Amino acid sequence: MGTLVTASALTKTYGDFTAVAGIDFEIREGECFGFLGPNGAGKTTTVRMIHCVSPVTSGVLTVAGLPARIDNRDVKGMTGVIPQEIDLDVDLTVEENLVIFARFFDIGRREAKARIAELLRFAELEAKARSKISELSTGMKRRLLIARALINRPRLIVADEPTTGLDPQARHLIWQRLRQLKNQGTTLILTTQYMEEAQQLCDRLVIMHQGRILKEGVPGRLVEDEIGREVIEVRTPPEDDARVLGQMAGFACAHERVGDTLYFYCREGHGLRQKLLELDLPNTLNRPATLEDVFLKLTGRSLHE
Amino acid sequence: MSLSYRIAYVFLRNLYSYKRFVVPTFLVSLVEPLFYLITFGVGMGAYMGAFGGQPYLHFLVPGVLASASMMSASFECLYGTFVKIVHEKVYDSLITTPVSADEAVAGDIAWGSFRGLISGVLMMVVAVFMGVAPAAPWRALALVVFMIFIGLLFGSLAMIVTSISPSFDFFSYYTELIITPMLFFSGVFFPLDHFPAWMKGLAEALPLTHAVVLSRALFTGQPAPGWGWRIAYLAVLAAAAFAVSIRMMRKRLIK
Repeated sequence: MGTLVTASALTKTYGDFTAVAGIDFEIREGECFGFLGPNGAGKTTTVRMIHCVSPVTSGVLTVAGLPARIDNRDVKGMTGVIPQEIDLDVDLTVEENLVIFARFFDIGRREAKARIAELLRFAELEAKARSKISELSTGMKRRLLIARALINRPRLIVADEPTTGLDPQARHLIWQRLRQLKNQGTTLILTTQYMEEAQQLCDRLVIMHQGRILKEGVPGRLVEDEIGREVIEVRTPPEDDARVLGQMAGFACAHERVGDTLYFYCREGHGLRQKLLELDLPNTLNRPATLEDVFLKLTGRSLHE
Repeated sequence: MSLSYRIAYVFLRNLYSYKRFVVPTFLVSLVEPLFYLITFGVGMGAYMGAFGGQPYLHFLVPGVLASASMMSASFECLYGTFVKIVHEKVYDSLITTPVSADEAVAGDIAWGSFRGLISGVLMMVVAVFMGVAPAAPWRALALVVFMIFIGLLFGSLAMIVTSISPSFDFFSYYTELIITPMLFFSGVFFPLDHFPAWMKGLAEALPLTHAVVLSRALFTGQPAPGWGWRIAYLAVLAAAAFAVSIRMMRKRLIK
């Protein structure tokens, strides 16, 4: 499969502030590529440069071989954007939102009509075609944003935190739709701070922090390489550390104390759990390692505003 | 500048949205001229007797045509555009499509001009019913073209204010300190002949003064002194304001 998006030494600064600090990545045609990171990591800034609404400060960024310059109409014409903030046109009805977007993309009236009917079905909004935006639930609004992003039959979809503020049902419906698009061959770029979302959707991802890429890889393998298979959380006061660690000495596990919890990151944790039970500790949790552990390990456990 | 036929799409978007506000805005656009023409024209005019050989209303109407276009275009490009940028986020979604930010702004200025035209035309219709009509039917058409131009000029000027406005409150500076005073210094309600020299000089710098003189000439058929340079002044100002407003709005929209 070919490469659709290439970035090298991609940088974005606002005055003294560096939002994106010289990153490199390649996104292949047909894959779902994730940008994972805390608030302010530079994810949104990066994707905004990809879809040509934010100028690149320095470095090279191309989409389908074209330079991702501000207002590059060719790139915009082949891209669908699902924004983080719901920016539907509240003065217009559901259907009119799609009609006017079709105009923006130079889609002829007859063609637009057919596509809109199809997209309303895809987004399960047929019954709401003539509704005002204010009459929609958040989940419906998010689905309409997806439908709107598909009006130009995009080769590339940029989804910037597409499930923010949704309940589980609505979130899973959005994920299904996004996977459906990927299966049809559309390239997907996803930014998210939900680890589960990244694991559900992404073929490959990068973890960003403070404008840099900390790690790149396939979600499952990243977890195994960075953390292992299992995590054991032992909630004990720090005074117990010596006793617990002594009991664990025979196992090749990394450990870390954070606040009230002692974490063990292990390749193989079964015998370990048995050993811990002997200590008769009141509160231990044994669970599979997740992307969240990788994320916290790489970005540190402090609060990122 | 990145401008193309796509400006029309932005205009179209505004037309779609306008459908829901047609009745209230028509009412406002009708009540405003009636207010001016009845209070000033009929009420005050009764005390003024003949005004250059004609009832005062004949003097008033062409001036108010120009000022009504100015007002509507200005308000649309101040409040209307601000709401679309800050509250409704219309621009955010628009610039992700092949439509450029420049085209979005130009489309909104065109839209402001259109709103100004609606106000002016409604005013003209009301005036005709009150017995004040352009000197010849073709002059009504010429006035339509002129009002479109007035709208582009004042829409662009307002757009510059919008480009730097942090909030609604900021617009008061422009409307209260510039637009409203201009209304009284530009010969809309009375001729400027009796102004002292410095006030005349001030008035000559105001674009509305020239718009009013030209509107009156178009309406009545009496030639305006210095119409050539007045048109040139307004045209240059409009072109400059348009270019500056687009540049400044781009700064606001593209980060």
